[in-house]
Amino acid sequence: MTTTPTPSADVEPAREPASAPSDGADHPAEPSEGRPGLAGRLAAVPAPVRSVARWILVLGGAVGVFALFLLAKGADPAEVAEAMWRSAFGDERTTGETLMRAAPLLLAALAVAVPARAGLFNIGGEGQLVMGAVGAVGMGYAVGTALPTAPTLVLMALAGAAGGMAWAAIPVLLKLWTATSEAIVSLLLNYVAAIVVAWLVFEPWRDPRSTGQAYSTELEGPQRLPILWGDRVNAGILVAAVAAPVVWWAFTRTRWGFRLRVQGGNGEAARRAGFAVKRLAFSAYAVGGALAGLGGMVAVAGVEGRLRPDLLVGVGYTAFLASWLGRHHPLKVALAALALAAILVGGTGLKIAAGLSGGAVNVLMALVLLAVLGWGRRKEA
Amino acid sequence: MSAAPTPLLEAVGITQRFGDLVANDDVDLDVRAGEVHALLGENGAGKSTLMKVLYGVNHPQAGEVRVEGRAIPLGSPSASRAAGIGMVFQDLRLVPAFTVEENIALALGQRPRSGDLAARIGSQAERHGLRVDPGRTVRDLSLAERQQVEILRVLLLDARVVILDEPTSALAPQEVDALLEVVDALRTEGLGIVIITHKLRETRAVADRATVLRGGRVVLGGVDPTGLSDDELVAAMVGEVPPPLPVDRPPARVDDALVVNGVSVAGSDGRVAVRDATFEVRAGELVGVAGVSGNGQLELLEAVLGQRPLLAGEIHIGDEDLPRAQPRAALAAGAFAVPEDPVADAVVPGLDVLEHLVLSGEPLPGRGLGVDWRAARGRVEGRPEPGLLHLAPLERPVATLSGGNVQRVVLTRMFLVDHPRLLVVAYPSRGLDVASVRATQQLLLDRRAEGAGILMVSEDLDELMALADRIVVLHDGEVAGVVDPATHDRQAIGRLMLQGAAA
Repeated sequence: MTTTPTPSADVEPAREPASAPSDGADHPAEPSEGRPGLAGRLAAVPAPVRSVARWILVLGGAVGVFALFLLAKGADPAEVAEAMWRSAFGDERTTGETLMRAAPLLLAALAVAVPARAGLFNIGGEGQLVMGAVGAVGMGYAVGTALPTAPTLVLMALAGAAGGMAWAAIPVLLKLWTATSEAIVSLLLNYVAAIVVAWLVFEPWRDPRSTGQAYSTELEGPQRLPILWGDRVNAGILVAAVAAPVVWWAFTRTRWGFRLRVQGGNGEAARRAGFAVKRLAFSAYAVGGALAGLGGMVAVAGVEGRLRPDLLVGVGYTAFLASWLGRHHPLKVALAALALAAILVGGTGLKIAAGLSGGAVNVLMALVLLAVLGWGRRKEA
Repeated sequence: MSAAPTPLLEAVGITQRFGDLVANDDVDLDVRAGEVHALLGENGAGKSTLMKVLYGVNHPQAGEVRVEGRAIPLGSPSASRAAGIGMVFQDLRLVPAFTVEENIALALGQRPRSGDLAARIGSQAERHGLRVDPGRTVRDLSLAERQQVEILRVLLLDARVVILDEPTSALAPQEVDALLEVVDALRTEGLGIVIITHKLRETRAVADRATVLRGGRVVLGGVDPTGLSDDELVAAMVGEVPPPLPVDRPPARVDDALVVNGVSVAGSDGRVAVRDATFEVRAGELVGVAGVSGNGQLELLEAVLGQRPLLAGEIHIGDEDLPRAQPRAALAAGAFAVPEDPVADAVVPGLDVLEHLVLSGEPLPGRGLGVDWRAARGRVEGRPEPGLLHLAPLERPVATLSGGNVQRVVLTRMFLVDHPRLLVVAYPSRGLDVASVRATQQLLLDRRAEGAGILMVSEDLDELMALADRIVVLHDGEVAGVVDPATHDRQAIGRLMLQGAAA
């Protein structure tokens, strides 16, 4: 057994444990140790209710502290909340904006959740997103505008997924061959990816019209995702909306998902059950990388339209937060990604209502992260 | 033994319910200073529940726990500890990466290497005949050695009552004897000892009194075990005496199920754990592996199962050469196993019994891309083994089961495999009650009769002698002898285990 902590990947539909064994030879349900008193009485409350209550408590705590922060800055929390809500979901345009922010975020969050189910850490979402964007843009340039929209976009999506997958393959293969930490390697590769993009936009793919700020030539026509409504909201959100249930289905309804769960829960049990454990670990990480790569494609073929050195900066880390917030359950992760995107977009409202820097939303995100991690700790203890 | 007027520890009218299940129903138990009180009973009889009540882990709905006549708060481990109740759990709770001294310092709330801790450990150990080296890392210790550390830890916490939860379930005969000597020394010191066990031999060896639980109730309370026959004690535990094992068994076939040829294996600590072992298991033959724990038997099993690379030699399962250390290759060749440590090597948190049963090593039952759970369930329900072994309900999460019930899961899983060529079984009866041990042994003999080769490691020499056609005795990683249990007695095998081929 390695000493790597295992991200919990508790996504099977909960089967209620039988309260009492019937055959007499069975041992009584042993409660986990040392929970008399309050905790013991809480144990009588049905599990779903308890879990929802805990969520409210955790997130309420984070929001409460943020409210104090706002008060200290002389802003009215209620006013700020309203302004943030208006900025995120106020009308069709802002809602679309939030959804578009959420799409690559969700795909990158799933890139954390899939390896987590196999007990692996992927902190390389940032790099995999960017390399996905690179793959998609590269394919876009290669195909040009000769083909119709659908095949062009499919090719770009495949190239994006391949780019993310290739980038994700590095940490997991190094782990399998040389026992390095996939968490550290994937994290460090984020910086390498940023350098790759910087080189691409300054050298081979540079838009000749770009002067001060370098960027690549813009994708156009069939290389861009179709607009769904407004002037910016594009089909990328559909890709993300489909991906989450598909991952959920793969987790709960396929042998692959079951094997990942066994491996994440107890690697030795997986090995002894004859699973191809290395192949499984690779597949989980590669699928994760492909999802992030798709996220990069969605971003670059959607709103962005081109590579920039600061493309998608921070999205991978926010996605990591989203996956943990959703406890690696694909559908909960989708909710978490949407909520975080709303907070990010709502930052505009914060600026307007409180005169604070838009970056102040990072305070809220940090509080949410701390609250969630604290909650996770307690749950495992 | 001197009987003090007030018992050192007294549990009165303990009733503990979990939902609808009454795990302890008005149970009384008392322990006097300077006595060993054996607590006997089947799995699920409520022994562990009662001990957890005494130790403050469980909070009973009714009853009282008194130490020297004074009631102590219930449901508080720290109160129980402060009152002088110490517990050595079945699954030992030491930090493997720490040294003995660091582990004990942790329990005492002290800094390691502070003051005279090592000296205190040394003197306490000597006083009680415990062989404990404070500087060694727990990871490198055998199970028996770790257990001694646990006992020492409890003693250093000034326990006056020591509860041992199935302490002998994974020890070799000589280790059991050593442990019983320690128990005897603690009794002489005036401590009260509660020992939970299934084994009558041990009860007879050390216990002054015995209490038998069945179905959560006291069947025999605080009786002198010398006044009862084995049959009477077993009957009290299980309600009936299990039938004896059949003596006549069909002879083994000529074809080999397993060939181990000149095999050397490295242990986890890097030294050679198995050296130049050669033996074979024929189809329809049950071969036992005996040895004091830590003499290479587990490394040998792991090598056979492709879980540990060979330094030298070769292993054939049936006709197939095991090419390299790969569990999948061994499974493909038809070798299925009960792991030596089911909790560590088989239990997946969050998965239920059925989900564990499909992890036997056979291909997962599939329908489309998914697992065919209906087929898996149908297969289990159509077979007698789950009933014979009292398998827990299929929906129960395995991580919530007791050690014995986890053992039933891994045993059932192995017995559900169709036509195995080789079964490799580590400690099959670990944690099981008398009736389930007998059912397990019968199932092993059934598979043997059907033509499977069986390689079995057991800590129970009596079990090996009753079941095995031949016994491979390991001493210090070498095959000290391959003996016929019909012509060798316990003592002769014990000598081989302790002294090697020279004996």
